Amino acid sequence: MTETRAVEAWTLRPLERFVAESGARLTLLMTPAGQVLAQHGFTRAVDVMSAAALGAAIVASTGEIARMMDQQAFATLNHQGVQHGIFLGAFDTPRGGLLALVVYGPDSSAGLVQLFFEELAQGLIAAAPAEEQPKAVLAANFEDELNRSLASLFGR
Amino acid sequence: MSLVNFTTREITCKIVYYGPGRSGKTTNLQYIYGRVPDSRRGRMVSLATQTDRTLFFDFLPLELGSISGFTTRFQLYTVPGQVYYNATRKLVLQGADGVVFVADSQARQLDENIESMQNLQANLVEQGVDARAMPFVLQYNKQDLPSDLILSPDELNEALNFWDVPSFSAAALKGTGVFETLKAASEQVLRKLSQEEPA
Amino acid sequence: MSTAFRQALDGITRVRGVRGAMLVAGEDGLIVAESLMEGVRGNAVAALAASLQKRFRQAMEAAAVGNPHFLHLQGGGGTLMIVPAPDGILVVAVGTPDMNVGLVRLEMLRAAESIS
Repeated sequence: MTETRAVEAWTLRPLERFVAESGARLTLLMTPAGQVLAQHGFTRAVDVMSAAALGAAIVASTGEIARMMDQQAFATLNHQGVQHGIFLGAFDTPRGGLLALVVYGPDSSAGLVQLFFEELAQGLIAAAPAEEQPKAVLAANFEDELNRSLASLFGR
Repeated sequence: MSLVNFTTREITCKIVYYGPGRSGKTTNLQYIYGRVPDSRRGRMVSLATQTDRTLFFDFLPLELGSISGFTTRFQLYTVPGQVYYNATRKLVLQGADGVVFVADSQARQLDENIESMQNLQANLVEQGVDARAMPFVLQYNKQDLPSDLILSPDELNEALNFWDVPSFSAAALKGTGVFETLKAASEQVLRKLSQEEPA
Repeated sequence: MSTAFRQALDGITRVRGVRGAMLVAGEDGLIVAESLMEGVRGNAVAALAASLQKRFRQAMEAAAVGNPHFLHLQGGGGTLMIVPAPDGILVVAVGTPDMNVGLVRLEMLRAAESIS
């Protein structure tokens, strides 16, 4: 089933366009720390949160290797499997660095994903609002709710 | 950095379990994973060596429930404890909203605890993070071992708790103290989030 | 670029009107070897040509008429031609509207044979 979710709405249009044009099964946009900002595509392709954490770790690891080699970070990575491949790309936007994790199958290819990834990065850079969004305001007594939530979580 | 979705009213925070090798960081996550209902947790991912030592990290997403109208999710990570995995520790620490330091209470592990604590501080400084402003709790694990083998919580506080942060005695294998530690860390992370907000 | 690949592409690009020729990995749409004039977006052509070839192959399989041997797309501003070679490689050529399609096709088939 196709699912679309976005923490920040400005990411959606470039993301949907990218998935449609590249033929990717699923694309996640995330922060370098692995938190998912937006997703579009077949949710059954992977476990989204785990994939984001692992994808961010791959980019961070190879970035660190690049630093050790005294060169710029690798812009994109591609892992081609028999049926499916994953593509990871990093880019800067006015809202900070972002990573894209693309899962693609036989309907697409590394070349197509790479081709439209450049467009995705440009689209997101253009769409990113410059100003910070206001942050959440938690109620002063959030502790009570937290305690209840944790108690129920642990069956206490 | 916490991620806040205003449209769907969701908060996602990252808590990193830090500490020396074999102090019980993965055991904390395994206990939580085993106690929490399926519907409130995601898949636990462990990147471990063949001998089950953490190679890169363990990862466990948890759904706490609704806090102030926000569906609140926590992503729990562990770091590999051994000294020579510092490069990967730094990567996991990036973007952390809070840190749980899991100390090994055994007296013979004191030096390893101190070294790991210093390593944590050095890594936070390197990432430009003010360690004193970071939500931070200590857990003194393995307090169920015979008393002649371990240091008391007071002794461990003396050696490790420079900033007088909340500390908890634990026996993570049995689950003792695991819940209290997570609760304190969650509370600190959310409190910081609420204090950062404009009035 | 290996000598064999260069020679294979040279035969195509020598034909008047050809603006570029490439060997493309059919499965991943990435360039294996290229000889392109300024202004031809090699990466884009390679990725899209491989995608097109895959679709046409599926369509032809569905129609039970075998695999495509030659694809010729004529546009207002030029021509795109694709010849599948063995081992999943595609020979791709881009040219002007008035290029000698028959001759280019012949050179592309020769190139496909020479790299197999």
